[in-house]
Amino acid sequence: MLRRIIARLTRRGSPSDADIERGLRDHLELEADSLGKKDVPEQTARLAARRQFGNLSTARESVRDVWRWTWLEHLEQDMRHGWRAMIRSPAYSVALIATIGIGIGASTTVYTLARAIHTPFPALPQNKLVWITYGNARCGVDCTELSPAAFAAVQQRASSITAIGTYNWTAALRGAEGSEPTRGFMVSPTTWEAIEAPFAAGRGFPNGAGDAGGATYVVLSYEFWQRRFHGSRGVIDSVITLGEQPRTVVGVLAKDVVFPMVADVYAPFRVTAHDANDHASRYLAVFARLNGDATVDRAAAEVRTINAQLIRESPKTDSGWVLRARPIADYHTDDVVSLEAIAGVAALLVFVAACLSAANLALARLSTRRHELALRAALGVGRWRLARHLLTEAGLLSFAAGALGAVLARWGVRMMRDAIPANFAAFVPGWARMRIDPHILLFALAAALLAMLTFALLPVLRATRIDLSSVLAEGGRTNAGGRYGTRMRATLVVLEVSIALVLLTGATLFMRSVRNMIGGDAGVRLDHVLVMDVTLPPRASDSSHIDFIRRLDVGLRDVPGIRAAGMGTSTPLSNNFGGIAFDVPGRAPQPNGQPLTGIGQQVTPSYLQATGVRIEAGRGIDDRDVAGAQRVVVINRFMADALWPQGGAVGRLVKIGDSTWSVVGIASNVHHGGVDEEMRYTMYRSLYQSPRNFGVLAVWTSADPDSMRDVVRGIVARTDPSVAVGNMMSMHAMQARHVSPFTMMAGMMSLLAIVTMTIATVGLYGLIAYSVAQRTREIGVRIALGASPRNILGHVGSGALRLTAVGIVFGLAGAAVFARLLTSMLYRVSPSDPGTYVEVSLGLLIVALTAAWVPSWRAARVDPTVALRD
Amino acid sequence: MPSSDDRLELLQGTLDMLILKTLLFGPTHGHGIASHIRRTTGETLVVEHGSLYPALHRLQRDGYIAAKWDKAPDKNRELKYYRLTAAGRRRLAHQESRWNELVRAIGCVMTPAPEV
Repeated sequence: MLRRIIARLTRRGSPSDADIERGLRDHLELEADSLGKKDVPEQTARLAARRQFGNLSTARESVRDVWRWTWLEHLEQDMRHGWRAMIRSPAYSVALIATIGIGIGASTTVYTLARAIHTPFPALPQNKLVWITYGNARCGVDCTELSPAAFAAVQQRASSITAIGTYNWTAALRGAEGSEPTRGFMVSPTTWEAIEAPFAAGRGFPNGAGDAGGATYVVLSYEFWQRRFHGSRGVIDSVITLGEQPRTVVGVLAKDVVFPMVADVYAPFRVTAHDANDHASRYLAVFARLNGDATVDRAAAEVRTINAQLIRESPKTDSGWVLRARPIADYHTDDVVSLEAIAGVAALLVFVAACLSAANLALARLSTRRHELALRAALGVGRWRLARHLLTEAGLLSFAAGALGAVLARWGVRMMRDAIPANFAAFVPGWARMRIDPHILLFALAAALLAMLTFALLPVLRATRIDLSSVLAEGGRTNAGGRYGTRMRATLVVLEVSIALVLLTGATLFMRSVRNMIGGDAGVRLDHVLVMDVTLPPRASDSSHIDFIRRLDVGLRDVPGIRAAGMGTSTPLSNNFGGIAFDVPGRAPQPNGQPLTGIGQQVTPSYLQATGVRIEAGRGIDDRDVAGAQRVVVINRFMADALWPQGGAVGRLVKIGDSTWSVVGIASNVHHGGVDEEMRYTMYRSLYQSPRNFGVLAVWTSADPDSMRDVVRGIVARTDPSVAVGNMMSMHAMQARHVSPFTMMAGMMSLLAIVTMTIATVGLYGLIAYSVAQRTREIGVRIALGASPRNILGHVGSGALRLTAVGIVFGLAGAAVFARLLTSMLYRVSPSDPGTYVEVSLGLLIVALTAAWVPSWRAARVDPTVALRD
Repeated sequence: MPSSDDRLELLQGTLDMLILKTLLFGPTHGHGIASHIRRTTGETLVVEHGSLYPALHRLQRDGYIAAKWDKAPDKNRELKYYRLTAAGRRRLAHQESRWNELVRAIGCVMTPAPEV
């Protein structure tokens, strides 16, 4: 049996056409021969034989049929039929394929984007990792990091998890061509085993790595390996100098591994006995691997117990803090959860709009094909066969649309991946690996196919209900497919308009927000300022740091083209800052018992001038403020007004750690984290009194800042060749980078909105044009009876206006809901900003009426004699 | 030759059986099968050629008969000879018994045995 099926499938043993032909001819000859024996002339015998045999080609066909895999052949036939139908109405086919294709492409791209955000570590075992956070109610999502004491407690006491800690580490890589800053992380030695990180070369840290006094190791990221070592395997076991310290390269991570953020190098660290008592400095980003079959819930319970212990052990620092074990998916979603939701909803809306539009087109086509279908039904084409024809046709169209959608999605995702702003990508490792999830694409394809099939089948269901005599009596003139069809199409158009309005509103709100962000005054100078990161060799002493800073300061003075230049510890708008805790002696403690926190900047005297920060009272940091002199601090206006509302902040004292600092001046406010972030307390201290081995350099130039790049680089190199300069950019570029995620989001939303609006407009145009075509005779009668073109225009136009207006009303309701999703991403724009709603509604109305104008105008031009004659 | 009205329509599905039965006496070609059936039924059953060849190909496809081009005994040409396969023999036995069953059953209705 099976063999027979296979034989059938492969048509094995199927005779050739020649073979069949020959068999039949032989038969004829034998027949003629046998007749010939009865003394009939040969010619007559042949004819008789032939006559008796009947139609030779029919016989041939029936023989052929025996060997055919019939349904496949029928499918082929249906396909050919469908193909011809597609070709016959190219406008319909193109419109449908484009609509569905763009719908699939756009929604898949956007959804892929949303998914990338939701999958923080795509190369790692997501469901086995948890994220440990230590926060308190006041600082909310901003504080998640653990103190070494808390980390050590989790590491030692939690049995359901293996905890690993990480913290930022910056070190310059020494090379023959000079130093290069690297982005690095210090990680627990067992990190790679815990997260099951695949390696491209080498392996993880050996036992004992990270011990004090032991050998030092480093693991490279794939990108850094490619960029700096050109993917050479020889680098494994070689020694490179990071900072001042030689380290043995033990491994290179596999291509897609990003943990916990984009980095170049990873070195091992261990919490020392001394650090294990440090409850106050919270800097460790902690992750954990679930042991065995432990669950996140169990880990969370264990961690809660440890939380209570920590508070008992060190109530002063830890009370009020909440230690949590959370699913790893939370890692990036705190901030971007709304981004994902927005993208997801937008993708869905575009897709729905595309499907509605396809339905609309299918309905329009149905009304023109009613006649054909009725005729074929009348000629005895079975309902099933008719359905199969239409389904095959829809299938062909869906297939083409799906292919187009897949191509568009591929292109879109690639474009997105390349367009992702670097600072954003660094926080979302999923970006680097972002690619189309085949499941999403398949889902979109299936949904589109379903939508198409539904509307392909409508005609069949209705074809059987078609009253033959009435359709055929129309003499080939089609009507609107009944009142029902027109009303349904109108509903679809209304829905399309609503969706377009929702997306347009979202896009406009985003655009306004971005404009406000770019136009907003962060309190820093953007023009003619060049900023860069400067990394000093780490092992050098404080005095050598001070020496370098002083020499650099001198070197940058009196340089033509440089107005002022100074060093600080973090650049405004760089999404980077050092937070510090402080106390004001004599001030009642905070209600929650927590110390005050703010942004701490260590600066050289001319830094504030270079970045455009004004001194509003007292004095700025100056040359007097050196090691050994009185410790002074300049605070920002916000802090002065908040802590000393009666004034007189200058001369007060601030306690940072164990030392006391005198407020000597009040500086203008700077939105360090960008205008979209809330203002924070800020304290400027002298870099000479509190040195650091890394910093940023801000140079205020008189000419184009980019033209000064080499000059500045040269000065730094002359001052100390071992110092690395990186991320050099103008403040304008820094600002652009800061707002880029929002710009990107706004751009994406705009694109989706425009696509949807186009779809809706085309739908409206189609509907009006169609109804005009249907009503030509009626319009002709009206004109003949004295209606002016103006009347007709108004008559047709008001129909379009009504549809659009209803769509806009529904859309406004939807937009109000959608805008609430956007709230957290909007800056200085209310999600219910009335101006936006009015603007968008009017805009859409104008576009819609313009689209309706053309067919209305055509209606007004109807020549009554022609219309009535037809 | 009886007129076409006197000819009997073949019962659906019986042609296959007739072909298999004919081939039981030895391999022959399509024409041979047709003339054998016509002759043995006294010109009552004339196999439509339009149905003979599809039936032959169907039987061949299903593996009940096999075909081979062979020299005709008298002439200098090749003809397609069909022969019964083992599966064909089993098929024939099966069909024959069913046929006899059918004839008996129909016979019971048409010419009932006299009641005792």
